[in-house]
Amino acid sequence: MPTYTDMTRCDGCGECVDICPSDIMHIDPVYRRSYNIEPNFCWECYSCVKACPQHAIDVRGYADFAPLGHKVRVLREEAKGIISWKIRFRDGREKAFTFPIRTTPWGSIRPPSDYEAPAANSLGSQLLAHEPDALKVETLPTLPAFREEGGALP
Amino acid sequence: MFTSNPFFVLTDFLPVFAMQAYIILMLVAVVAGTLLDTTHKGSALFFARRREEAKAAAQRQLSGLETASLAARTLAEAAVSGEFCKWKRRVSHLLMMYGFLLYVMTTIVMVFVYPADAQTPIILPLLWDLGALMILAGALWFFFFLRVNVVHDGDSPFHVGRADLFVGSLIGSTAFALIWHAVQTVANPAVGLLFFSLYLFFTTLLFVSVFWSKFAHMFYKPVVAFQRRVEEADGSSDLPAPSRDSMR
Repeated sequence: MPTYTDMTRCDGCGECVDICPSDIMHIDPVYRRSYNIEPNFCWECYSCVKACPQHAIDVRGYADFAPLGHKVRVLREEAKGIISWKIRFRDGREKAFTFPIRTTPWGSIRPPSDYEAPAANSLGSQLLAHEPDALKVETLPTLPAFREEGGALP
Repeated sequence: MFTSNPFFVLTDFLPVFAMQAYIILMLVAVVAGTLLDTTHKGSALFFARRREEAKAAAQRQLSGLETASLAARTLAEAAVSGEFCKWKRRVSHLLMMYGFLLYVMTTIVMVFVYPADAQTPIILPLLWDLGALMILAGALWFFFFLRVNVVHDGDSPFHVGRADLFVGSLIGSTAFALIWHAVQTVANPAVGLLFFSLYLFFTTLLFVSVFWSKFAHMFYKPVVAFQRRVEEADGSSDLPAPSRDSMR
């Protein structure tokens, strides 16, 4: 189900424009509020839904298999690390779901612009930018070393 | 220079009645523009229908005290522009909002109470200038550095569209108001008349363009915000209730 913006809630902050991986969240030239310029190209990743501080972006099914009249609303609580969904069916039934949204505090991941620009000779390296430091390998859990029967550690 | 009633010099060639009639005409233009705007877009009808639906879906009736409390909280939020999530836009909006209130209220008092009085209390023209300066500071900051299409959508800071009609006419009105006030005592009357004409043009544009601009937001935004609070309180909101759990 692609996303759409409730313009009465949107305050035109532009967070959805920045985060949309498909670059289809744009700013309306007349009302200066965000809107989905091409719902057909929406990946339905819901990044904009989760990023919107005003809870102004909702999702809506295509009319051929999800007739209008239902509601799918989202509330993101970044301090609690939770996102909640409330589904209201056309016949009035409601369902609610709550999920953890991420495992690290909101805003704790550094954007690429916060890192130093890689040197030109980094192009020849097999590592991606800022690896291995950015991978934080030392913080990952590790398995115990494998030992063959009667053998020594490799 | 900034302690004199700026409208006093107009009495040389304009009757007081004309100035007062102009202000009344502008008030009528704002009311008519707002009504046309909400009717044309269907937003009033949409809002009324949504309100009826919310009433039908309400899980409990709010008492008068609860409704009054929600209204007070809505006003408190509007007074500090609490609806904005970014502090820069919030500060810019506060400068424009309180500047506009000062600018309009002092204009009305000076034109209706002291139009031909050279002894206008000094505080009035000072507040008029302060209001205009506050609007100018907030509006220029917003126009060049905070507009969402400039910051997030890649438009040039000099890109102008219909969405800029309100802020553009506000900048024009206040900028030429200040210049006109400044040149009243230091320049010849022709220069004063030129800047007065520009001030009058942009001020008229600001108030007669309500149908095409976002001027009316100052009336319906608080109403919609109040309705949203009511829906959250009586259980008719489509938004999920805040979770009692924490994943952290």
